Amino acid sequence: MSHTVDSNSKPPSKELWLGTIAMTPLSIAVAPWGFLVGAYALEVGLSPLEAQSLSLFVFAGTSQLVALGLLQAQAGFVAIMLTTALITSRHLLYSMALRDKISPLPARWRYGLGFLLTDELFVHTPSNDGKPLNKWYALGAGLSFYIAWNLATLLGILAGSAIPNLTELGLEFAVVATFTAMLVPMIRSLAIACCCATASTVAVLAAVMDWQAGLLLAILSGMFAGFIFEQAQEYLQ
Amino acid sequence: MIALTLAAMALLVFASRYLFLEPRLPIELGPKLRRLMSYATPAVLSAVIAPMVLSHQGELVTDWQNPYLLGAIAAVLIMLLSKNTLLSTVLSMLLFVILKFWLFA
Repeated sequence: MSHTVDSNSKPPSKELWLGTIAMTPLSIAVAPWGFLVGAYALEVGLSPLEAQSLSLFVFAGTSQLVALGLLQAQAGFVAIMLTTALITSRHLLYSMALRDKISPLPARWRYGLGFLLTDELFVHTPSNDGKPLNKWYALGAGLSFYIAWNLATLLGILAGSAIPNLTELGLEFAVVATFTAMLVPMIRSLAIACCCATASTVAVLAAVMDWQAGLLLAILSGMFAGFIFEQAQEYLQ
Repeated sequence: MIALTLAAMALLVFASRYLFLEPRLPIELGPKLRRLMSYATPAVLSAVIAPMVLSHQGELVTDWQNPYLLGAIAAVLIMLLSKNTLLSTVLSMLLFVILKFWLFA
């Protein structure tokens, strides 16, 4: 057997497959959400091609959903961009967390994995386990999720053009169900629980008070709450 | 106009996902900042879920007959008991549909 510097023990096709398998529960769970984005886009007045392009090129469920709401409310270009910037700002944190693992890779891998870096992929890509990233595993997870998201959008577009008022079915609960299933196993310490409680409280407060920057504020306060809790714990020990 | 909005959104989202993956970006992260970053995902997920579950059109939902809240509680419990993502999402969505369109309809 020949050994390379690469620490990957399994062949690329195997890792690609393992990544796909690991992502499958989320790829299935996200289907109603992708479906919703497709059907909703038509309702807002996008053409089927524009609706699919949203999932093909933007590929960000939360941003897509919120932008469609803004388009429906006749919001302007600047308002849509500012909101998208706020919602997508968390991806900065993901790319920061994965900087050590992905930045040494060749450009095409960086661009590819960067494009695929969703919440779901980040959850499946440990950033501080001390091991090098298995790029084929990450590609399998990210790409299979991309295909699932786009197929679900396509189904939503097809169904949305045949059946009216599809979006009143409460499909947005799919977002809650998917994110909850991702969140629960993450809460492994009191500091993380404190982070979640703070982020939730600020986010609900922001929704009720109608603060435009509410989501970003909630995310930042959650992060600092967890971090300060952790630092205080270490200091007291 | 829609095409322009789409293209600008795509650029913005890609830029935020890619920025720190660029090796020529001359920024190094200290250990404290990394610890802070490790709380980003739970914070984002909580901040997206909580208002969907506890508020409706800018109003706090205090009614216990709230299919979003009960569905989310079910998702948490099933996830804790089974540790199975697919089971938790499918069953909680099923419960949500039953509550919203049948029991509380």
